[in-house]
Amino acid sequence: MTKKAAAKAADEKIIVGIDLGTSRSAISASNGKRTWVDSYVGWPRDFIARKVVGSSILFGQEALEHRLSLELYRPLKNGVIKEGTARDEEAVKELIHHLISLVQTKKTSTEKVRAVVGVPAESFKVNKVALKKAVAEFAESLLVVSEPFAVAYGVNALDNAMVIDIGAGTVDFCIMHGTVPSEEDQRTVLTAGDFIDQQLFNFLEERYPDSDFNLNMVRRFKEKFSFIGEADRAVKVDIPVDGKPTKHDITDELRRACESILPAIVESTLELIAKFDPEYQDIIRQNVILAGGGSQIRGLDEYLENVLSEYGPAKVHLVDDPLFSGADGALALAQDMPAEYWTDI
Amino acid sequence: MAIRNPADSTDLRKAILKGVYDENLRIDSMVPDPVTARRRRRRSRIGNPVLLSVLLLVAASSLAGFLASWNPAEVAEPVAVDVPAEPESPQITTVEVKVPVPVPYAVPSAPPRPLFVLKPPEPVEKMVEVDFSREKLLDYSLILNNSQVRLSSLFGLDVQTIIIDPGHGGRDPGAIGVMGTKEKNIVLDIAKRLRDRLQESGRYNVILTREEDTTMSLARRVEFANAGRADLFISLHVNALPQQKVNLIETYYYGPPSDIETLKLAEQENRGSGIKNRDFENMIKKIGNTFKEQESATLATAIQHSLFTNVKKYDKDTADAGIKIAPFVVLLGVDAPSVLVEISCISKKQEELKLNLPAYREEITTFLAEGTVRYLAKRNLQIVKGEEHDQKGRGKSS
Ligand SMILES: Nc1ncnc2c1ncn2[C@@H]1O[C@H](COP(=O)(O)OP(=O)(O)O)[C@@H](O)[C@H]1O
Ligand SMILES: [Zn+2]
Repeated sequence: MTKKAAAKAADEKIIVGIDLGTSRSAISASNGKRTWVDSYVGWPRDFIARKVVGSSILFGQEALEHRLSLELYRPLKNGVIKEGTARDEEAVKELIHHLISLVQTKKTSTEKVRAVVGVPAESFKVNKVALKKAVAEFAESLLVVSEPFAVAYGVNALDNAMVIDIGAGTVDFCIMHGTVPSEEDQRTVLTAGDFIDQQLFNFLEERYPDSDFNLNMVRRFKEKFSFIGEADRAVKVDIPVDGKPTKHDITDELRRACESILPAIVESTLELIAKFDPEYQDIIRQNVILAGGGSQIRGLDEYLENVLSEYGPAKVHLVDDPLFSGADGALALAQDMPAEYWTDI
Repeated sequence: MAIRNPADSTDLRKAILKGVYDENLRIDSMVPDPVTARRRRRRSRIGNPVLLSVLLLVAASSLAGFLASWNPAEVAEPVAVDVPAEPESPQITTVEVKVPVPVPYAVPSAPPRPLFVLKPPEPVEKMVEVDFSREKLLDYSLILNNSQVRLSSLFGLDVQTIIIDPGHGGRDPGAIGVMGTKEKNIVLDIAKRLRDRLQESGRYNVILTREEDTTMSLARRVEFANAGRADLFISLHVNALPQQKVNLIETYYYGPPSDIETLKLAEQENRGSGIKNRDFENMIKKIGNTFKEQESATLATAIQHSLFTNVKKYDKDTADAGIKIAPFVVLLGVDAPSVLVEISCISKKQEELKLNLPAYREEITTFLAEGTVRYLAKRNLQIVKGEEHDQKGRGKSS
């Protein structure tokens, strides 16, 4: 990368924080704009499809809606870019380009963008080179960090704290102790939001074999009613049976599905904390931060706090805005980053 | 929300920002400069098979002793590596290796050494679908650890230690039937029977993760299996379903996205200019993981088949959930090929009743043993000829 960037005046620059998620990607910009898209990228299958969709590339919900005409990619599905799929890399690239274009006011040239991109922890470990390469051309300078770390930075949990970021494809854990977290401070498990969806789908299929539902519907049920522990009241949803909307009680299935991700979360949390000296363990245990879409499962914070309390005083916090906590954290990091660091990158 | 650290965090912030910067500089140094990268890639666009040859090439030099003592004539038929014509390699596998770049099909160092590759085992029957499309790779870590290895050990195929893991235990009862039968007790009993059965042959050293009704975390089990240098790991569980009529049998293995391994490999390579011995070992281990995944799938297939077809004879309401890939912590962590079997379904009343009969538990044991032994036999069949003269077992030295 050249040094020409250094010459440009700083006032025109736009600084962005991006959360590149397995299911949803968000961006927060220094000009106050914030937005997100579902992490889908689709290219028309052929020129007819190209005519039908009226664009050479589609993103997010729009891509999903036209999926029959598209080659559809969810590039970080399991937290990493897949092997041998140049297209997945390409999709990452386009996705980031798209996000940046959403917050650019006038068509400023990409030279003026400074970006911090948070990516799933596993992807950071495995794909950081590829990721950086993919994004390089859209920003004057760019830093990649692991997503849970961006969250931690954003809420000022820099020392003796732990972030649990419950996404769609992965739950990412990260312990902060005053430095950039190393690989040992981080962990990823694959039983996350998508896993709940699949479980719920399976349970419902067993209980209501004649009803007509799909994974997308099931995910919506989850996002609306998710809970663990005691149900406040029965969860009843409309599902078509022979084309006719019919009320179904899904309380028990929903609880079981949501609870299915708990064992791995508890185990990873305990193990990561256990690596520290007991006095620090006590502090970390009281600084546990839940982020990501999955942190909105009702009762989850309370449950974790109870489990952790068996080992000593514990406090589990929820981030205010799970949709944007990653992007906001990345933006904060980008804005705090001294100018001289940017110019070298 | 406000998570404030007691101390002023300005300095901390500074240090962390510097850390992010440094880390990214390191990453940048791994990102190939577009121009030179393109040039380099044209010459050495290395896909897996070729990479393997490179590895072998490096191995060859460090293995002179072994190779010298090895008479290729005794090996009836050199097996060629099955190299796909156009290796589909991830973009970032551009590698700078200070050795002549080999072409597929030929290991460039003279004299040509036969490469041994396991033939993809055929699925036992159509009933389960396993993806054997990727080529088989051997567990080359053995070569590294011991230059005096004999042939059969070289292929890592003479299983020595089987670890059986009765699920749950202690405070964790696992699934509980309506009559109060507990999963933890059933699987412990069957695990013990299975151990005794497998040990009869005298070929295997069988160890249980727990001998009693004790609580044991998954991490502990993983640790145990790895410390015990398991060659096979079988976790036993009993299912419970909301639907009470069916006896569902299923076998899981952990299939991490294969790409992780490959990409890690690539990254390893990007890091240094030459391959250091330790890096090399790490890479080999990663290849070994592909081996683990494939072997796990084959083992799962064999066990599932034997268990299901036999149990089905007794109870037509038995359902075959086939073999599945799932992210069980215990399967991920264990280095050896590992599977998790849901041997029965306690939510079905008759099944719970039967599980309480020693005779039935013995029966299930037989099916499990049959599947396991069938797998082992099959695996041994795939050893390239020439194994007979090599009867010495592999020591636990490695
Ligand atoms: N209220 C909710 N309850 C439970 N899960 C939710 C809720 N809202 C969103 N999710 C789930 O959170 C996941 C997305 O979280 P997100 O942090 O955006 O993930 P990622 O960063 O992996 O894209 C999805 O699985 C989604 O279904
Ligand atoms: Zn179990």
